[in-house]
This record gives sequence, structure tokens and C-alpha cells, in this order.
Amino acid sequence: MISIFFACAKVLFLMALAPLLSWFIKKMKAISQNRVGPSPVQVYTDLWKLFHKDMVISEAASWIFHAMPFVLFASVLSAASLTPVSGAVSLFGFTGDVIVFVYLLALGRFFLTLAALDTGTTFGGMGSSREMTLSSLAEPALLLSFFSLSFRTQSLSLDGIVSYFSWQSPIQILFFTSLAFGALLIVTIAESGRIPMDNPATHLELTMIHEAMILEYSGRYLALIEWSHQIKQIIFLTLLANLFFPWNFSGMSGFAAFGVGIGLYLLKIFFLAFVIGWIEIHSAKLRLFRAPDLLAVAFVLAVLSLLGQLIIGRGV
Amino acid sequence: MKMVCEALKEKFGNTIRELEGGTEKQCHVLIPRDAILKTVGFLTGLLPMRLVFLFASDTRKENKAFTLSYVFSHTQQDSFIILEARIPENDPVFPSVTPFLPQANWQEREIQDLFGLVAGNLPDPRSLVFHEDWPRGHFPFKKDFQSQQKIPRVSGQYIFERVEGEGIFEIPVGPVHAGIIEPGHFRFSSAGESIVKLEIRHFYTHKGTEKAGEGKSPSHLLCLAERISGDNSFSHAAACAQALETLADIQVPERAQFLRVIFLELERLHNHMSDIAGISLDAAFSFGASQLMRLKESLLRINERLAGTRLLRNVIALGGVRKDISGVQKQRFLEEIQKIKTDFDSIIQILWQVDSLVDRIEGTGQVKKEVAETLGGVGPVARASGVDQDLRRDHPYAAYKELFFMVPVFKEGDVESRMKVKIQEVYESFKLIYDALHTMPEGPLCSEARPILPLKSALGYVESPRGECFHWIATDREGKITRWKIHSPSFVNWPLIQYAVLENIVPDFPLINKSFNLSYAGNDR
Repeated sequence: MISIFFACAKVLFLMALAPLLSWFIKKMKAISQNRVGPSPVQVYTDLWKLFHKDMVISEAASWIFHAMPFVLFASVLSAASLTPVSGAVSLFGFTGDVIVFVYLLALGRFFLTLAALDTGTTFGGMGSSREMTLSSLAEPALLLSFFSLSFRTQSLSLDGIVSYFSWQSPIQILFFTSLAFGALLIVTIAESGRIPMDNPATHLELTMIHEAMILEYSGRYLALIEWSHQIKQIIFLTLLANLFFPWNFSGMSGFAAFGVGIGLYLLKIFFLAFVIGWIEIHSAKLRLFRAPDLLAVAFVLAVLSLLGQLIIGRGV
Repeated sequence: MKMVCEALKEKFGNTIRELEGGTEKQCHVLIPRDAILKTVGFLTGLLPMRLVFLFASDTRKENKAFTLSYVFSHTQQDSFIILEARIPENDPVFPSVTPFLPQANWQEREIQDLFGLVAGNLPDPRSLVFHEDWPRGHFPFKKDFQSQQKIPRVSGQYIFERVEGEGIFEIPVGPVHAGIIEPGHFRFSSAGESIVKLEIRHFYTHKGTEKAGEGKSPSHLLCLAERISGDNSFSHAAACAQALETLADIQVPERAQFLRVIFLELERLHNHMSDIAGISLDAAFSFGASQLMRLKESLLRINERLAGTRLLRNVIALGGVRKDISGVQKQRFLEEIQKIKTDFDSIIQILWQVDSLVDRIEGTGQVKKEVAETLGGVGPVARASGVDQDLRRDHPYAAYKELFFMVPVFKEGDVESRMKVKIQEVYESFKLIYDALHTMPEGPLCSEARPILPLKSALGYVESPRGECFHWIATDREGKITRWKIHSPSFVNWPLIQYAVLENIVPDFPLINKSFNLSYAGNDR
């Protein structure tokens, strides 16, 4: 019973923390541009504001348009419940949740692209086609990098992978997971729509990917979509943090362990957010046709990682 | 220039005669309507002349006919020749030069819309300035047009050029855009992401500025000129002032000439800073963008301190300038310019080190030299494509003759070249300001105002940050302004974008567009 409580609390925790992480990257960018940047409260009040605004909905919109924000939000929350955060077990953790995780996100994306086509605007269609092109490359890279870790740990569950690596020495972790880490980092950038893949801050419709798909949304729906996007970003950062730097699942017990675990976790995701922000500050956006090249690199890294595990075998 | 007139007379006989009222550098020649094609072809084909622009004026009161003027510039000497042809009202047809000089396309279409003259043989006779809701038969630039009357709006349809084939779809963008920019419509035909055709449709903000200037006093006209295109206020005003000064035969004092150079270059500086910032921003490299915008802001503040206005309005006066740069100001000005230059240096160095940015701009949006020449491209855009022309050097005005500077020219014609041209021009501008400040003689700021002379016409021109900008002013018998023609660089360069985007992908369009950074207001007028 208490574990169910903890698992639910974990999802709520991710939901609450997600906007803060977006703020962190925004603030970094602001500082790099000699700007003051928003206060941390701003991201929450933005969501609050959107939730309380009226919606303008196209007359051409069908049920898909109305259902999408909820499907997206639900799918992202389900994925969040599979994500190992700190100590406690996942709400829906079971064998095979890696595959469910990837396809929960795909479900959300499927509805997102469909809804973008639904109102029949030009930019929506453009965004959908670009999103599908890129995600069809990101998805295999994501799956393969999970599989390479699964092969090592003999577990298709995210919890299982994390708990296996948390008992290994750092050298071993570095040795077995660095390639997969590279792949997953690139996929994270693509999935969270950040530079160099997509520019979340642009107003130029012709260059948009994610933003182009949600141009028709406003008010509550937009708030849900924005929030799911932020949660998706934190899920990926959490995965990166816990799969590849898993050293907080051992040792202590009780509240001390809980506190240290949360602290370490925060440190890790903010460090990773810093890395993402650093990349964003230091590079321009890739030309759309070059973005698949970067995702191809992710795919190759994932394949190499899997091959590496196969060659070395499990015995080492 | 006399030689060109003689050559014309020798070739085409006595139907051609020189008109009164020209100046040493601006020669007016009257040609019969039938000889338009032959003479224009002769001048552009066989002589080192370039068609700069053409326009019509309603001179029915003076000459009992409309007048068409073709302005040519000599590519080797500092002189202009203006061919004038009379088009009678009862047979308002003139031969189109577009078939062999494609650059005239928009200009001839504009004449059709505003004056009701008909260009025979024009390949694309659709209306340009007026949209489908404007009723036929109303020509606002005719003198007898009642500008106070309400024009009933009608319904109609504009037919875009269609590209057909499998997988081709159209993307309409604008006229309302995201962000704070002016209205303009872009119709892409694309196959997947690659652009097969782009058609630009503008003139959503046509205000009839030229018409509004008719009958105004010279100082009022300068005010209007400053408001044609916000960020090129000073260039337009300077071009207008030069035309007026030629008309009134005013000699601008030397110190004012130098001050004009300084202000013109200050305007170029803040324009180019913001252009390069825009390229960086549209490639999503916001660090470069915000740093350059910071420099632009410092420049605008310098403007404010020197001139009292951030965009250098109210500085120019008929016969000189209103604002002086005193000794104390000069020292501080020089220090600040030096600081901006140092900062600019280091930002540009950083920009070239960002591989992802260089990758985005290299080879993007190429304009070939032939395209730029055929369409009469001007300014940094043309210079990036290897067209070596700059009014400051070729037809020096203000004090440019006494100053030394380079005209950067690059060959590739891509976004990178346009950025390089602008970067080099920024350095030249710094140098020009520095030199002008040091060589500027003491003296009065402004000559005494004199009335403009009747029945004359004159050309004023400036190499604005966007390219060559011409103002043509003609006066009637009472010495009132009867025709004011504004030829802005944006009007010439917009059609070039249609060619620059070909074989590029849709998401690169904003970057290409930004590297041109043309003015909608300057185009629409």
C-alpha cells in the first residue's frame, strides 16, 4: 500500500518539477544573452494562466482535436509512472516495460500529429510530416539503446536495469553504457524539441516542428500539451540520470536514504539540463535535412552498444 | 554624357532631342514613343549603360500627354541619362521592355495600375499594386483622380501561378505573420520540403506616398521621405534632399556634406548590425543575435545623443543638416565607436567558430550573378553575387568623393556571402566615420534656403543600407512639386528572393529572407 502511495507521489513529483526544469534551461539561455530571464514562478503562472483562458477552436476540428491533449497527457503520465526516479519502485513496473514505455510515447505522438492534420492548416501538416520523419529515426535508436542495456542486465524493465547497474562499479557502468548514453542523449534532444533539432523559442512557422503542430491550440488544451511536453522532457532526463548515473539506490534506508536519494536525483537532472542548455546555447539549429544525420548517429551508437554487449557477452 | 546624346542622335535621327533643365550629370533626352524599344536596347546593349528604373508621370497639363521616363546610369562615368517619351491620352499604350529587360516587370505593372497606361506585350499583365478588391478603371496617380472619394470595393480573384504535378502542394504564408513585421504574402509551391516556386505578393501597405508628396513644400516632402521606410529614414531623406537641392540650385556646405556621410554610415551600421543579428537568430543561434542587438542599441543611443532621434529623423534639412558634432561630442563618439568595433570584432569571431551556424548559411539561398544582373539587383545582395556596384563610389554624392573606402564584393551569392558583405561594410563604415570626423572642415551647417525652380526635374540618390535609393522630383510652372518618384532598393530586390529560394527547403526560407532583409514599407510606399 505504502509503495503504491510512493509511486503515485513520484509521478506527482515529476509533474510538479517538470516546469522548473524548463525554467532552468530558459534561465541559462537568458543569462547567455545578457538578459535577466524569468523567475521560477513564471513557468507555473504561465501554465496557470493558460488553464484559465478561453479556448478558440477551429470550426473544422473533429473529436481528434479535442481528444488529443488528454491522450497525450495520459500517455506521458503513464510513461512517467514507468520511470524509475529514486528508490521506490515504479507504479506500473513489470517485465517488458521498456517496450511499453517507448510505445506509450509513440501513442501520444500519433495523436499529436493526427490532431495537427485535423484542422487542415498548412503549418500543422508540415509539422506532422517533419515530426514523423524525425521520430521514425529516433524511435529505433531509443529502443535499441534500451535493448543493449537490457541484454546486459537480462531485464526488460527499467527498474530492473537501474537496480542492476546500481550495484556495479563506476568503471563497469561507464564501459557498458557510454555508447547507449550518447544515443539516448541525442534522442532526448530530439524528443524534447530542443536546439539543434528544433527551436522551442522561434516564431517562424516555416521552421517549426513541434510548435507547428500545436499552433491551433489555445487555453486549457494548450496548457495540457505544454505541460505534457515538459513532463516528457523531465522523463527523458530522469532516464538519462538514473540509467547511466545510478548510484543512489544502495546503502542507507529510511528517511535519510530518501532525502539523499532525492537530493542526488535533483543534482543529476539539473546537471543534465545544464548539458542540454549548454548545447542549446552553443549551437545553431541544424538544417532540417541534417537532423536525420544526427539521429543516424544516435542509431549507430545504439547498434554499436548492442553489438559490444553481444561480443563481450554476459560473463564479464 | 553629351557623347551619349550625340550617339543617340546619330543612330536614330532628329526625332531625338535633348531637353532643357538637365544638369551636368543628369541629361534629359526626349525620344518618340516608337523608338523606346530601339533606344533602350541600344543603350543597355551597346553602350555601358544600365537601366536603373522607369516610371510614368501625368504631364497632361504641361505636355498634353503622359510622360514615361527611363533612367539609365553610366557604368564608367558619373552620369545619368533620362529618356523621356510622351504617351498620348487617347492611345495610352507603350511598348514593354520587360521581354528583354526582366527587371522592368514590376515597374511596368506598377505603371499600368497607377496611371492606366497599358504596357503592350507585357508577359505578365496582372495587377501588382492593387489587389482584387480594387475596382478597375480607377487610376489614383492621374491628376484628375479625386483622392477624397470613397472607392467601392469589389470582389475578385487573384490567380497565382500554379505548379502542377504529383506531390506538389502550395503553402500560403502571410500576409499576417507571427512576430512584429509588416504584411506580405508568400505562396510556396513545394515538393516535400523543397521549394519549386515562390510567388511574392506585396503592396498591402500601399499608401500613395508619392501622390501625397505632390504640391507639398520641400520641407514637408523631407518629412514624408523620412517616413517611407523606418530604418532607412536618413537615406530616403538624404536622397530626397539632394533632388530638391539640385532643383533649387543650392550648394550644400562642405561640413554638412561630411556630416551627412557620418549619419548615412551610422544608419548603415545599425541596419547591418540588426541584419547580421537576424541571420544568427533565424539560424537559432541566439547568443550572436542578442549580442549584436545590444550593439545596435548602443548605436541607436549614439544616434539619439547626436541627433536627438534614434532613427536619425529631423537631422537633414534643405541645404544641409541641422545637427552638428561638436568637439566634446566627437571625442566621446569616437570612444564609443571604438568600443563597439572591438565588441563587433569578437562577436564576429565567435560567429565564424560556430560550425552549426556556418553550416546553415553556407550555400543557402544562392543568387547567381546572371540572375542578380538580369533582375537589376542592388545593394549588398547584388554585391554578394559578384555585381560590383555602389553608388557611393560610382556616382559619389555628399562627401564620399573625398573619402577612401573599399566596396566588398563576393561571388557565391549565398546567405554566407551576404553576411560577409554586410560584415565588411560595417568595418568600412567604421573607417568612413573615423575619417570623416577627422577630415571634416569647419564651416556653416546649412545654406540659405531658396525656392525650387519651376519646370525642372532632378534625381537624388543614396546608397542606402539596402542598396541604391533614388528620388525623382519634378516641378510644374508655379514651382510646385508635381511628381515625386521613390525608387527604393527593396522594390528591386524582392523579386530576387523568388529565385534565391529555388532548390532550397521550406524551413530555410526565413533565413534566406532575413539575409535579404528587405523593407515592406519601402516596397509598397
